Amino acid sequence: MSSVDATPIGAGAKARGAGGRRPIGLLLVAAPVALVLGLIIWPVALSVFDTLTVHGPQGLEFSLEAYRFFFTDGFSLRNLWLTIRVAAICTVLLLVISLPIALYLRFSETRLAGYIQALALFPLFVPSILLAYALIRTLGPNGTVDTLLVAAGLPKMPTPYLTPWGPIIGLVWDNLPLTLLIVLAGLANVSRASIEAARDVGAGSLTILWHIILPRIRGTLLVAASFVILGLFSAFTLPYLLGPAAPEMMGPFMRRTIIEVDDPVQARTQAVVTFALCAVFALFYVRSVARSRREQTS
Amino acid sequence: MIARLGLPRRLDWKGPLIATALSVAILLPLINVAVWAFTEVWRYPAVIPQKFGLRFWGDMLARGDVREAMSTSLSLAAIVTALSVVICLPASYAFARMNFPGRNLFFMSFLTVYAFPKFGLYITIAAIFIGLGLIGNFWGVVLIQLVSTLMFMVWIPVTAFQNVDRRQEEAARDLGASPLRVFWSVTLPQALPAISAAVLLTFVNTFYETEVAWLIGAPEVRTVPLLMIRFINSELVVQYGAILSLAMWVPSFLLLIAARRFLGAQALGRALGA
Repeated sequence: MSSVDATPIGAGAKARGAGGRRPIGLLLVAAPVALVLGLIIWPVALSVFDTLTVHGPQGLEFSLEAYRFFFTDGFSLRNLWLTIRVAAICTVLLLVISLPIALYLRFSETRLAGYIQALALFPLFVPSILLAYALIRTLGPNGTVDTLLVAAGLPKMPTPYLTPWGPIIGLVWDNLPLTLLIVLAGLANVSRASIEAARDVGAGSLTILWHIILPRIRGTLLVAASFVILGLFSAFTLPYLLGPAAPEMMGPFMRRTIIEVDDPVQARTQAVVTFALCAVFALFYVRSVARSRREQTS
Repeated sequence: MIARLGLPRRLDWKGPLIATALSVAILLPLINVAVWAFTEVWRYPAVIPQKFGLRFWGDMLARGDVREAMSTSLSLAAIVTALSVVICLPASYAFARMNFPGRNLFFMSFLTVYAFPKFGLYITIAAIFIGLGLIGNFWGVVLIQLVSTLMFMVWIPVTAFQNVDRRQEEAARDLGASPLRVFWSVTLPQALPAISAAVLLTFVNTFYETEVAWLIGAPEVRTVPLLMIRFINSELVVQYGAILSLAMWVPSFLLLIAARRFLGAQALGRALGA
């Protein structure tokens, strides 16, 4: 299956540790595997099961009631719709921002490239809770941007704080480094030679981007988009602190449903709905992680 | 550059443009917070604070809730990291070196960490924890945070253990060293840089973890990020939040230095799932 088994290392272990060592390996991996089973697979499976059943007169019965409620409740639907819209906008923005940066980093050798890379990766080292605070002070009412605008004799801007644009700005800021790294890894497969060849026959920049670069990194862009969408559906801190109270994104909505409204069944229904919506993207993303893992070991 | 030799060399306008835009977007919010932390008086709409000073630092450091949050966060991160080392490192050695039934299946099972939107997963766990009375419980938070550390503490060391030079180990064995001695003196030192990186990543990520702490731990477990949420929601003195931001950035700063020296951007990105 995976190359883990095919590595000579694995073969060596097999040769030496034949027989007696077998159970030891299982014993050593037992605890982390138990964590995966107990705190990922079991809770998810249980939530799917519990939201699909109700206690009837003859014991447990299959029922779509929880989902029927979710998909007919205007409030839930507005929250879901907001999340989908924010996820779509963030994905597009992140790809549109990180692609030119990645292209510049890949194909130019100026000294600026180092500075740009350092800057674009810097958000990796800024925890999102700190980012939320910094953005409120900067973009909030009477924040730095307002101060600068007023100093320049311009009117204040309408603040994005507590509107959907608050979390959008925060999430784009936060996700830029990893999106950029994914796109950069994809661009490593586009050779300079192919671009130079196209340029020699007179192709313009846009033609090269459209016909040579984009077709080769289509898979990468899909993985990057999947990564962003998965992150957006599980975003909590930034939407909670920067976003509007109503409609709210799925993260804060789920928390409010389980803690404040005290309705675990609906909260779990909401969670399962996000799992289902993200399933395709999760598949793409997990497949690519597994693949890069394999390339790393072999 | 070679390609452009034939053409008249065009001015590189894209670089400065990207650099300027990124500088403003990335640095402005951060510099802003740093300035606020050292400000005593800054009335809108002045561009420069009226009075700089350290007055609020003394107030901050004397606050009981700040100290309590710091010690909670540090001990939480230390406990999770230590448990993760104890649980995951033997497992990663086993995955790298031993053969046992179900090895690939178990190894790939860690990918489920990535397969679900995290917050939804926490909700499904919380629903179970409510029944068990683990809400507001320190150890409940520890347990869930352990799951998030698996990717760092199992996957990164596996690669390191696989890349250890087997010939050196065999040479040591031939010279009469016991298996334990070989592991301690040959294997471990070679894998140590990667393991240290994994430990550091685990510690820093646990320290800043906000969502599990807020969902499962609040209100009894009060970590630094949760204190920050309170400051954002209800603290009128801007400086407190700014000073807490600066103080809580220290672990990230250490990670930044370590990443620059030992890790490299690509490796760090891979570790974080890029």
